[in-house]
Amino acid sequence: MDKWQGGGSDQAALPYPFYVDIVTKRYFDGVDNKNLTQVLNCFTSDAVLTEATSNTVHEGRAAISAMFDKLFTDFEKIWHGNFVHVADPQSNAICSQFTVLITPNGGEELRYENCNRFYCKDRLFHRVTVYMSGDNLLQPGDA
Amino acid sequence: MQYQPTLSRAEMIELATKRYFGSVDAKDLPSTLACFHDDAMMTVQTSFTDHVGKEGIRRMFEDFFGAYETIVHKDFVCTVDEANGRIAASFEAVLTAADGRVTRLFNTNFWRLREGRFQTVHIYMSGENVLV
Repeated sequence: MDKWQGGGSDQAALPYPFYVDIVTKRYFDGVDNKNLTQVLNCFTSDAVLTEATSNTVHEGRAAISAMFDKLFTDFEKIWHGNFVHVADPQSNAICSQFTVLITPNGGEELRYENCNRFYCKDRLFHRVTVYMSGDNLLQPGDA
Repeated sequence: MQYQPTLSRAEMIELATKRYFGSVDAKDLPSTLACFHDDAMMTVQTSFTDHVGKEGIRRMFEDFFGAYETIVHKDFVCTVDEANGRIAASFEAVLTAADGRVTRLFNTNFWRLREGRFQTVHIYMSGENVLV
């Protein structure tokens, strides 16, 4: 039975920079450059990504892949920055606040002030919760 | 802005979940406000609402305490950046109005601490803003 619990104390702590780097240099770098493989390599196979403000749940890497495929298709430019992190090796988790500048195809740039909670299992994201300051942009894709 | 951390991990969790939310749930306004610096800012980021300074925060809490018969915050999952004086927590807020209507929210707060008190608080709500 899997006893993993997000933010639980019974996990192996990784070095502090690991958490900031996986969020910024791997995950969001992959999102901003529309590198789906780089993005998906941050998740466990049975990861769950939840958009909390609309309670939209993407369960498993295939669903997460379909969601990002749709995001990358629907938006011509994506940028995440202005990060403030709460990185916690003891609970193998990191919570991050950031700005998103995102432009729909042929549309005007949108600005969001979002946060994500990332709970890792070993070295990968296992549960991710996203809060958005506007309409949910992480819609289900065609899995 | 980076502030020098002064509290331990346990003290930060105690401040956020017991002293702050314990005081909010008890509708203890002086104890709630004692957690904030005079020039603190509280932002509900999901609705772009700012409450500026202790007096602005006081006004918001007076209205909030008056709007609900009971206020309960529970099931905290804390993430603590002890080296940088920052803490985040996810939790459920159960707000019961005088007519029995119940509002449930699954929120996340981010606190930045300076000298053991809140300098900034950012709140991300799963539903409509109740801190107006």
